[in-house]
Amino acid sequence: MLRACRRALRPGGRIAYYNIFVTPGLPERLHRRALRAGPPAVASRGISQVDLLLRAGFKSVKETDLTAEFLKTARAWYEGRQSQELELRASCGDAWFEERQADSGAMIPAIQDGLLRRSLFVAESE
Amino acid sequence: MKARRQEDILKRFTERYSTGVSPALNAVERRAIGAVVGANGYTTVAQAERLLSVLDLDPGARLLDIGAGRGWPGLYLSQRSECRAVITDIPCPAIATARARAERLKLIGRSDFALATGSCLPFRDATFDAVVHTDTL
Repeated sequence: MLRACRRALRPGGRIAYYNIFVTPGLPERLHRRALRAGPPAVASRGISQVDLLLRAGFKSVKETDLTAEFLKTARAWYEGRQSQELELRASCGDAWFEERQADSGAMIPAIQDGLLRRSLFVAESE
Repeated sequence: MKARRQEDILKRFTERYSTGVSPALNAVERRAIGAVVGANGYTTVAQAERLLSVLDLDPGARLLDIGAGRGWPGLYLSQRSECRAVITDIPCPAIATARARAERLKLIGRSDFALATGSCLPFRDATFDAVVHTDTL
């Protein structure tokens, strides 16, 4: 996808994106737990986003770790849904509510345990 | 295996974006994101502002938002900077909602919508001044 972005950008254009990814270098057991706990589009490749950006033809690559904010937002979704439980069960259904709370309930400890991270990546097209 | 995973993700996101709106959902989104913008991910309003800051978008600049769902944050960036935004994703309900949102925000004159994946973008080379995506593979 980064190569496609690079092609679509004019020279000197910028890409900026937030990315949730499995912490690199985890033992296999924890890596699998991170994949199960992460959102559907969690990145899990062995190659870092910074390297992927460089390989795709970007320069001036910068990563800013925002995992603390990610944890705060994940908790806010979970606690917000919990505070609206009756209304959400009525409007969206029990299965909808329970699936989302279970997803968040698995993801929050995975972030706390350092298995999932989220960063902002910014780079410039050559 | 990869194609099957992508199909699963598409199915999951299509279901997710087919959920209607309700006061309770809006209250949860406001608590998590800081606004009611049709978001269901982890990009807060403050983080959308951060994108504005790092991209330094001029009025009329061409912005591509990949995997934008219901238009967040691409439409917000267009609203704040007056740039032209192209909103792309693959679930049809998401793009339809994004378009309706653009109409409500009076952004339809400077926004376009396409069903497209990030790895197969239907645009000519060097079309855009900036690209954003948020938690999209």
